[in-house]
Amino acid sequence: MVKSKYIIRHEFRLTAANKTFVVLTILGPFLIFAVTALPTLLAASPGAGIKSNPIAVYGAPKAVQEALQTAFSGMNIQIEPVDSVERAKEGTLSGELGALLVLEAGWPDGGKALWFSKTGADVALYGAAKAALESSARSERIRASGVQPEVADRLLAPTDFDVVKLEPHGEEKAISDQAFLETLMTVLVFIMLLYMTILLYGQMIGRSVVTEKTSKTVEIMLSSVTSRELMMGKIAGLGLAGILQYAVWTLMAFLLNRYIGPLFGLALPAAISMQNMGWLLVFFLLGFFLYASAYAGLGAASEDEQNLGQLAWPLIIFLIVPLVMLNTLVTSPDSTLVVVLSIFPLTSPIVMLARILVSSPPFWQLALCLSLLVVAVVGMMILAAKIFRVGILMTGKRPKLQEVLRWIRVE
Amino acid sequence: MTDSWTLVADCALVTDSVRSKDTITAENISKTYAEVKAVSDLSFEAKPGEIFGLIGPNGAGKTTTIRMMMNIIAPDSGRILFDGRPLAEADKNKIGYLPEERGLYRKAKLGEVLEYLAAIKGARPQDFRPAIDGWLERFGLSEWKNRKVSDLSKGMAQKAQFIAALAHNPSLVFFDEPFSGLDPLAQDEMLAVMAELKEKGATVLFSTHIMEHAEKICGRILLLNKGRAVLNGPLADIKARYGRNAVQIEFDGDASFVKKLEFVNSVVEYPRWIEVELRQGIDSDELLKAVVGKLKVRRFEVVMPSLHKIFVGLVGNEGLGSNGGASYGQV
Repeated sequence: MVKSKYIIRHEFRLTAANKTFVVLTILGPFLIFAVTALPTLLAASPGAGIKSNPIAVYGAPKAVQEALQTAFSGMNIQIEPVDSVERAKEGTLSGELGALLVLEAGWPDGGKALWFSKTGADVALYGAAKAALESSARSERIRASGVQPEVADRLLAPTDFDVVKLEPHGEEKAISDQAFLETLMTVLVFIMLLYMTILLYGQMIGRSVVTEKTSKTVEIMLSSVTSRELMMGKIAGLGLAGILQYAVWTLMAFLLNRYIGPLFGLALPAAISMQNMGWLLVFFLLGFFLYASAYAGLGAASEDEQNLGQLAWPLIIFLIVPLVMLNTLVTSPDSTLVVVLSIFPLTSPIVMLARILVSSPPFWQLALCLSLLVVAVVGMMILAAKIFRVGILMTGKRPKLQEVLRWIRVE
Repeated sequence: MTDSWTLVADCALVTDSVRSKDTITAENISKTYAEVKAVSDLSFEAKPGEIFGLIGPNGAGKTTTIRMMMNIIAPDSGRILFDGRPLAEADKNKIGYLPEERGLYRKAKLGEVLEYLAAIKGARPQDFRPAIDGWLERFGLSEWKNRKVSDLSKGMAQKAQFIAALAHNPSLVFFDEPFSGLDPLAQDEMLAVMAELKEKGATVLFSTHIMEHAEKICGRILLLNKGRAVLNGPLADIKARYGRNAVQIEFDGDASFVKKLEFVNSVVEYPRWIEVELRQGIDSDELLKAVVGKLKVRRFEVVMPSLHKIFVGLVGNEGLGSNGGASYGQV
């Protein structure tokens, strides 16, 4: 096994010097920070990042203008009363004005409110305008019907509605809409990272094996080491690079949270805890070893990279399924389908991680998931080693399935 | 033995000669892929201080044999002995290997690749580093040490591969088709290195489908065809045994009439060169008389038959395999 040390070191160096690796390692945390902190930033200042041109308003009484201004000031947008609809339309088209709001004569009960914009898709803006107009119209109608303003305020006062998350050991945690959004984003980022890294490293192993095979380097390697040492060395070398990457990310998440976040008054979502980062690493390692072994076997059985791509498709589907089911994972983490997928080894790394982030899966399910994963990793390694041993020396033709099955049976 | 060369058919087992250090022995090895018998009941022995040639046309089973000798694949039956005991994984450290199909990690630096390949042979850095520098210097590749392998020309990459086979100072070296793709100067360099290795007492195994190469450097040969041994023994003895009544002629003109001469047994024919085997009891003078005036003779030499000729004589042209058979080249 002394020789494996050199193979691991060689593969680690080749991987860590790779540009994709460096870019992903550096950008990973920013991706986490950007995507998960974005809802926080937007909630604090919905206009942030949007070019805030004034919104023209035509035909609105003073009280309505004030209500609109209050609604838009949170987005750093000014209301600009205009007296020509045509000119305001031109201004909107040319981009000087963000949009034009026209209240027809007799609004609210005789005329309509019209929103003119360049895209027609500025939902956040016209949503805010609509809410402000409805509120103004309601107040106006109540006032016109002779109800006292104080009574009207009481009638219109919002009610409180809190969401509380039940944690094990009797803990209860209030969840705001924003916190839910943060959790959703965190789950999205975590499972995307897991998906990307498992797939990326798996493909790197597969390509590395195919290249070694097609470039004939494998003959020299096998004149020095056993096929098992070669395969395991490759997997361990890349795995080590993966651990380094996750260590960098965890460290950066810690630094961001501890030192950089407070400077901007931002905190990482609660879901990005050290404990969850730990789970991320555990599921990365198990998922990595499972998929890397499978890819090593597929690489050895492939004739070239194109062939590898075709053979790997069924495998990739198991990685994609959890991504497609993101919504179900977050909203029904304890549904039968999600529970089954969180125990089935090919999907469990991603699905179980998502469940851990949003709910608290029962201990037995977690234990079953981890034990099955470990068994699957060992089984896949044994299977891959058998395919690898024979396949790595086969060149010149695409092996048929029966042939590969025969390789597995070879003693 | 009275006859130091042996037709392998008479020699199923390797002689129980003294199995000195670094001797590699194949004992009745066989290998079958699917339904194809790649190697069948092969036995031979290569000793320190000699260059042993594994010769045969493409598809004869040379690479399979070498892979078994390298412990890359296991024989279905028979065994490989090294130092007189079954070849073990640890023995790989003493073996250097230049595969027929060349390949190095293209994205890595040359020096790093060579050090890596020496390290996985179990050599110590303090030993292989100076050795690598020495070889790079000798092959004029020193300034390429810190460049990527992909920057090397084909010839340089071949030399680099040669270094990779030798950097850990092996006592047994396999060269699988070492001269393919090399220019004549580089071939001479490789030949010199192989001769040095032999002088230093290394066991050198050499495989080729170009029989002239084998004739120039091998002390003993094993001639393979369709996975079976056709000839096995010292080259000089084999030639002496078959070397009767053959003449080589270099000429200008049309020599097609020669094979029709009644005293001619067979002819190996090239545009400006022929090798003629005469019938028993016919003197080479007869041939000289027959060609004078019809060909512009540049060289007329009574020789032992080429290995190719012997091979064809033993197995016939159909034995030359499906890939075009044995071919000629220049060293």
